[in-house]
Amino acid sequence: MSLDSIPNGLREAIESDLQPVRPLHPAWVRTMLAVAILAVVLAFVLAKASLRPDIDQLPMWLSWGCSILQLALGILLIVLALREAVPGEGIPGGAVRIAALTALAVQILVGVATSIYSPAITMPGSGITPGIGCFKYESAMALPTFVVTMWLVFRALPLRAPTAGLLGGAGATVASDAVIHLLCPMSNLSHVLVWHTGAVIVFMTVGWVAGMTWERLRWHRTS
Amino acid sequence: MVVDRRAEDQQLTALMIAYQKGDMDAFTGLYNALKRPLIRYLWTFVRNQTMAEDLLQETFLQLHRARQTYTPPRPVRPWIYAITRHVALMHLRSMRRRKEVLPAEDLPEVPVPPEMDQLADRATVQRLLSTLPREAQEVLILHHLLGMSFEEVGAIVGIAPGTAKVRAHRALKKVREQMIEEGA
Repeated sequence: MSLDSIPNGLREAIESDLQPVRPLHPAWVRTMLAVAILAVVLAFVLAKASLRPDIDQLPMWLSWGCSILQLALGILLIVLALREAVPGEGIPGGAVRIAALTALAVQILVGVATSIYSPAITMPGSGITPGIGCFKYESAMALPTFVVTMWLVFRALPLRAPTAGLLGGAGATVASDAVIHLLCPMSNLSHVLVWHTGAVIVFMTVGWVAGMTWERLRWHRTS
Repeated sequence: MVVDRRAEDQQLTALMIAYQKGDMDAFTGLYNALKRPLIRYLWTFVRNQTMAEDLLQETFLQLHRARQTYTPPRPVRPWIYAITRHVALMHLRSMRRRKEVLPAEDLPEVPVPPEMDQLADRATVQRLLSTLPREAQEVLILHHLLGMSFEEVGAIVGIAPGTAKVRAHRALKKVREQMIEEGA
C-alpha cells in the first residue's frame, strides 16, 4: 500500500458520509444538562419529603454542609466522566482512582460522623425493609442523572468507557446521597454502609459494565 | 530540520475545522500531514509495517466516525493520537485473543530529531528503541521523536505529565546505558 495517496476504500468511506458535524460542547457545558436533571429531581424530592427528625441536633456542617460537599463532589465526578469521554482529554489513571475512592470515603465519613452525633435513631427489626426502601429511593433519584450522564458519555468517544461509566455512576449516586443524607431518619452506621454506600457501589459497577458493553459494541469492527 | 510546531498545530486545527464542515480536501490535508508520524506511532504497537498501514486506515475511519468529538481550538494532535493509540490497543487485544503473532520488521523511514541523532547513528538508536518495553518506547517516541509536550503525552496515554516525564527519562537513560555497554 502506498502512503502517498488516500487508499480508495478509505476515500470512498469518507466521501459517502461527509456531512457537516457540530463539534461537541466542552465537558462543563455538557455537565450542565446532567446537573439540570439532577437539580429537578433533588428539588422535587426535597419539596415532597420531610427532613430527618434529628436535623436540628446535627451541626450545620454535618447536615447541609456535608450535603453541599457531596453534591459538589458528585458534579465533579460527572465532569470527570464527561471529560473522560473525549479522546485526548482523559484524566490520568491515578486521578480516577483518587476520585472514586474520595467519593466512597466522603460518603462513609459523613455516615460515621452522623452516627456519632445522632446515635439514637434506629429502626425496629433487622433494618432490611427500611434499608431496601432507602436503596430504592436513592437509586430512583440517581437513575435520571445516571442515564443522562451515560448518554452524554456514549455520544462522545470514551476510549476508557468502563472508567467513564464508573465515574458517571459514582457522580450520580453521590449527588443523590447528598439529599438522602438530609432525609433518611436512620443514623446507625451499618444501615448507611450497607444501603447507602451499597447504592454508590452498585451504580459504579453498573456504569463500569455499561462502559465495557459499549466498548465491545463500538470497537467490534476493529477486532 | 526545524519544524514550527505552533504553525503546524494551527494548520492542523484549520484543517480539522474545515473537515468538520464537510470539506474532503481538508481530510486529505490531515491525512497527508499525519500519515507518516501516525505510522511511526502505530509501529511501536505492532512492529510490522503492513499491519501499521492497515491500522492507519482503521484509525482514519474511527477519526471520521468521531470527528464531532474534536472541539476547536484545542490541539488536534493529542485528540488524534489518543484515538490512534486506542485503535492499536484494541487490535493488540484482538490479536491476543486469537493468539496471532506478526513478524517484526524494520522501522519505517522517519525523521530522527536532533536529540536522538546525537546519541548514535540512526540504525543503532532505532534498534535500541525497539528493545524497550512498549510503554517506555511509546512515551519516548511521542516526546522525543514526534515532538509532543509531556502534557500532550499524558493526555494521549492517560497518565499524569510528571509520570510521562519520568517514563521518558528512564527510557532514555536505559538507551544510553545500553549504548555504553555496546560501546556505541
